[in-house]
Amino acid sequence: MTDTAVSSDRKYHGGAGAEPPRLATPSGGAKPFVARHPSVLIFIACLALFTIGVTILAEGFGIGVISTSFVKTLGKTLCLCLVALAMDLVWGYTGILSLGHMAFFGIGGYAIGMWLMYARTEIIVSTSLAQAPLPPTPQEISDGIASQIFGVVGASEFPPIWAVAHSLPLQLAAVVLVPGLLALVFGWLAFRSRVTGVYLSILTQAMTLALALYLFQNDSGLRGNNGLSGLQNLPGLGDVPQSTVSMWFLWASAAALGLGYIFCAWIVSGTFGSVLRAIRDDEARVRFLGYSVEGYKLFIFTVTAIIAGIAGALYYPQAGIINPAEIAPIASIYLAVWVAIGGRGRLYGAVIGAAFVSLLSTWFTGGQAPDINLGVYTIQWVDWWTILLGLSFVAVTLFAPKGIGGLVDLIENRRAPDRHGADLGPDPGALREQEAEK
Amino acid sequence: MSTLLEVSGVSVSFDGFRAINNLSFQIGKAEMRAVIGPNGAGKTTFMDIITGKTKPDDGSVLWGDKSQSLLKMTESQIAQAGVGRKFQRPTVFEDQSVADNLMLALKKNRGPLSVLRFKPAGQDHGKVTDIAREIGLEAALHRKAGELSHGQKQWLEIGMLLAQDPQLLLVDEPAAGMTPAEREHTTELLVEAAKTRAVVVVEHDMEFVRRLGCKVTVLHEGSVLAEGSLDHVTSDKKVIEVYLGR
Repeated sequence: MTDTAVSSDRKYHGGAGAEPPRLATPSGGAKPFVARHPSVLIFIACLALFTIGVTILAEGFGIGVISTSFVKTLGKTLCLCLVALAMDLVWGYTGILSLGHMAFFGIGGYAIGMWLMYARTEIIVSTSLAQAPLPPTPQEISDGIASQIFGVVGASEFPPIWAVAHSLPLQLAAVVLVPGLLALVFGWLAFRSRVTGVYLSILTQAMTLALALYLFQNDSGLRGNNGLSGLQNLPGLGDVPQSTVSMWFLWASAAALGLGYIFCAWIVSGTFGSVLRAIRDDEARVRFLGYSVEGYKLFIFTVTAIIAGIAGALYYPQAGIINPAEIAPIASIYLAVWVAIGGRGRLYGAVIGAAFVSLLSTWFTGGQAPDINLGVYTIQWVDWWTILLGLSFVAVTLFAPKGIGGLVDLIENRRAPDRHGADLGPDPGALREQEAEK
Repeated sequence: MSTLLEVSGVSVSFDGFRAINNLSFQIGKAEMRAVIGPNGAGKTTFMDIITGKTKPDDGSVLWGDKSQSLLKMTESQIAQAGVGRKFQRPTVFEDQSVADNLMLALKKNRGPLSVLRFKPAGQDHGKVTDIAREIGLEAALHRKAGELSHGQKQWLEIGMLLAQDPQLLLVDEPAAGMTPAEREHTTELLVEAAKTRAVVVVEHDMEFVRRLGCKVTVLHEGSVLAEGSLDHVTSDKKVIEVYLGR
């Protein structure tokens, strides 16, 4: 080592962002995963506290301060947080701005919705046919279910995609497999041709739009624009009150979010996460290091599509209804906005963004926000909320690119030096001497 | 000495402009080679062809004992086969620490699933520390690469190249932006590396090339103009003409 190098190291010793000069001890090693990633532990603790709090306050098992509909809103919010995690993995960490992840979310919802609707209709049809003088044949029951479900689109036969709708395990498998396979095929085609950046975003958006338009058709086999409804009623559990069911789903959503968070944290930690962030910053360079960038992108795209599918399968039974409008590109754009506002490239940022913006959105569009009377014009938030959201998105992008999650850096004093446009150190990116000594 | 890389009769044009014209080049398994040439001589394109970034119109690029063609392989496959490249502008991952950068480059199975399961063992950390010591960045292991000075980034990239443990190192202007002392250290690193592997250095600085003390290939207008010791090529009439203008 030359003297120059030693002195220049010393000069910057302890600069902003530099950790205390621990020597090159193995940072992995024997310590368990959560000990190396305290933010995971903090997150799980917050999630557990939240879930216990809601359980105590809700009607189902607690004192009943929180209404069942609000419990459902909270449960749905947890699912949105989970899909935001997926978006952060694919966009914030890997740099693929996918505008299609809400389509995977919707597919997950449709997959579980088909079973819910089939099984519940089956019970209704069998009960009503049981009163007939002759015992109904299986064919009669099947026809009855079909005309019940598809009467609204003028059909009375099951389309082929309903072939396994009677089976819960198979439909649950579809929740994972259909989004996963679609992402795999789409991603393989797109990444193999090295479509990147805004072109890839447009391509994913086109996929989403195509899917939504297809589902809008009555002969798509999924009841066209009527979508699937009555999903909040669990088949065979008709006498369990919604206040209880809503708690079940809240717990399931919280558990899924917790597991999803640990899974995502595990993926982005270590060398795999390092490769992902490297792909985001300079994918050509990663290729010359010998990593097949396309393989990594395909892996992350598919895995996040599966996470989105699971989130959707938990969301729509709480929402009660799914229709093709839910898959429209705007939903995926909202997803990107949540992650951007929450803070890209950090998992808790995505969760905070999704929870904060979607709850705020519920409040504004639910008519609860007080209108503002300006004398000449009254601002009605139901109409103006999207404009406010758009403006905040622009503001966050321009003034706080780290989003809400960036506040954590402020607390930890991890701020990048503000140079006010002054000249940098020896070269761009290097710290100036006085900054380093702070 | 057996040949590691054999480039023969390679040509490539961009929009009618012949960047590489019937170029042939060979390098052995433990050899240092300096490639010099005026701007636009095709030095970078030459590296692009070997690393798979650019596909040539004609010719062949054969690699290793089995004389495998590199032309049908992707960039990442070529890199896995053992070709490492350092770019002219230091390209390190600025958002990640020096240790992360080196760990990323460290030779290991590169498939997504094995990287997902990869847990750096003690010896991997040891290797990273060793390389960091070699490139003078041991004290900076946990700093973000973006905070390093230009010269340090150059070194980090050389370190990443060493961590990759390639059989062939393609190094584009390694000494650009370095102080004389740093240059000397870079020379040592490269000479050391060339004892066990092939090293191709593209450089403008004749003094630096002289210190490397190796065979020199002069490129001009996409083909080899002269080849031999530095003294031999600098006394070559054509080379003088190209370098000093006619």
